[in-house]
Amino acid sequence: MTVTTRPGRGILSVGVVAAILAVAVIASLALGANPLAPPAVIDALAGRGTRETSFVVWDLRVPRTVVGLIAGAALGAAGALMQAFTRNPLADPGLLGVGAGAAFAVALGVSLFGLSDPGEVVWPAFAGALLVTMAVSVIGASGPGGPVRLILAGVALGAVLSGITTAITLTDPEAFDRMRGWNAGSLLGAGLDDLGAIAPFVAAGAVLAFALAPGLNAMALGDDVARSQGVNVGRIRIGVIVAVTLLAGAATAIAGPISFVGLMIPHVVRWIVGPDQRAVLPLSLLAGPVVVLAADILGRVVIAPAEVPVGVVVAFVGAPLLIALARRRTARAL
Amino acid sequence: MSPRSRLVLASAAGMIALALAGCTAAAAPESASGSAAPGTRSVEHARGTADVPDQPERVVTLEPLELDTAVAIGITPVGAAVAGNVTELPSYLGVSDVAPVGTVPEPDLEAIAALKPDLILGTESRHSELYEQLSAIAPTVFIASQADPWRENATLIGEALGREDEVAGLLTGVDDECARLKSEYALDGQTVQLIRPRDETTLSLYGPVSFAGSLLECVGFTIPDREWEDGLQADLSPENIASATADHVFVTAADVDDRSAIPAAVASAFPDATLVDTSTWVSGVGPKGAEAVLGDIERYLSANR
Repeated sequence: MTVTTRPGRGILSVGVVAAILAVAVIASLALGANPLAPPAVIDALAGRGTRETSFVVWDLRVPRTVVGLIAGAALGAAGALMQAFTRNPLADPGLLGVGAGAAFAVALGVSLFGLSDPGEVVWPAFAGALLVTMAVSVIGASGPGGPVRLILAGVALGAVLSGITTAITLTDPEAFDRMRGWNAGSLLGAGLDDLGAIAPFVAAGAVLAFALAPGLNAMALGDDVARSQGVNVGRIRIGVIVAVTLLAGAATAIAGPISFVGLMIPHVVRWIVGPDQRAVLPLSLLAGPVVVLAADILGRVVIAPAEVPVGVVVAFVGAPLLIALARRRTARAL
Repeated sequence: MSPRSRLVLASAAGMIALALAGCTAAAAPESASGSAAPGTRSVEHARGTADVPDQPERVVTLEPLELDTAVAIGITPVGAAVAGNVTELPSYLGVSDVAPVGTVPEPDLEAIAALKPDLILGTESRHSELYEQLSAIAPTVFIASQADPWRENATLIGEALGREDEVAGLLTGVDDECARLKSEYALDGQTVQLIRPRDETTLSLYGPVSFAGSLLECVGFTIPDREWEDGLQADLSPENIASATADHVFVTAADVDDRSAIPAAVASAFPDATLVDTSTWVSGVGPKGAEAVLGDIERYLSANR
């Protein structure tokens, strides 16, 4: 077996990234467009804050931090799964049509049913992501061709749905306005009760992803090699589709379409720990929220007293970062 | 020579011919400026001078303020550009039969030409590149910027339409109405904020130079000072919503009867905020929109007296 395993380095990396994540969480509670002093934040967390500080900390910073943790973890893990599964370092969860399905459902919701509150679109977005990836799997799973067929189905269906979504929003001014906000990506949309309901799906997706890691390692050398090692390739494939749908669908439902995290995180992680999915998946799960929270914090302070939506910051900062990293090192094979 | 410059040259030649024909005609009625051809007046505007018909009959407007002002003095344009995010003319104007000619940022030149207008009204800051092409279709008058004080812009539009007296009368009417509300409700020293929710992370506050902001101040409210962009507006994170505290808080909404559309941050900080119509308070720049906004303010004041 040629997959190099560096268990020591993997465990060390998990510890380091977990520590960085803890710092990111604290920063996300402490920093914002409203320059509250640290003691005021601590007072508010302890329930002794003023009306204003309690509102800023409990109604805004705590929920958006939780959303950033869940969405970032889900996007990181989903990206790692997609890249391993397709053996393509450019793959991201969007290739299964997750984002297009969610956006289509949100556009239908706001234009046909007049949904206006950001919390109201969480479940339609999740349902849209699930339904579209199911349709993509059914179309892409029939006949030979493996992951390529699946991706072609996902890209084709995604393009059709994006076209219809654009048509809906261009003919309905209110839908246009609300979709503009949704498309920017934001950690402030979902309420805490929505998060409680969405979190189990992310947890299930993450557990499934970990369970798939050994099989994905075997499949890295090709389906035939994996089969010869006794791996049930068909079952792994279905497992990956289900896990990616749960993870990326949930992330898109609560935070809108945040691009780049699913693409970038697995690359960075593989540079650190190599291609063993048993290390790549947990580390991607931890590194995803670091990037999402850091981008959100940057968006809060960079033009204070106003804010930049997190999706915009991720694209602005993520793209140059990825280019810089790619120029310094060769992209790590899968 | 490119086809485009040939077109410009040809239309220039045509205009010279027309001007010469005008010179040989019998004594024309006195016009505002001596140099203009008979039946036309010279109007100085953001892009120079245009010879416009004395009484334009087929007007196309490319800016909401121009549409509002034209309708307010009784001229229904034959065509109007609509705001980028809507598909129809605002209903508060109460006009139909106005052909859509593209959007405010991207007017449709073919649709404009097909209407055979005799006057086109546009905005230098938005339609600068289109001026030559628009002028080839019909005399074109540009206001400098939609961000300039709306009264000055409306005055120029009145001049272009040959109705400066009527526009001046409407503006005086707005001032009189402000003065009446001011003396009746004695709002001196009472603060006000107008909040427009943009998306989950951005709330815009409107400043004293903005359309609705200027009307709130003219009835006697005070908009607390802050760092405005061009005096027009200031964007705010929901974290800073408390800094928008004021005696009276108005929040813009597409549907003033739907309180669920208020963002959570605004609803939590100002549970008693009054919803006002975005199509008039934000987009209804002009004398007719001003009338609607002042009407809303009076209804609010009399209900909360």
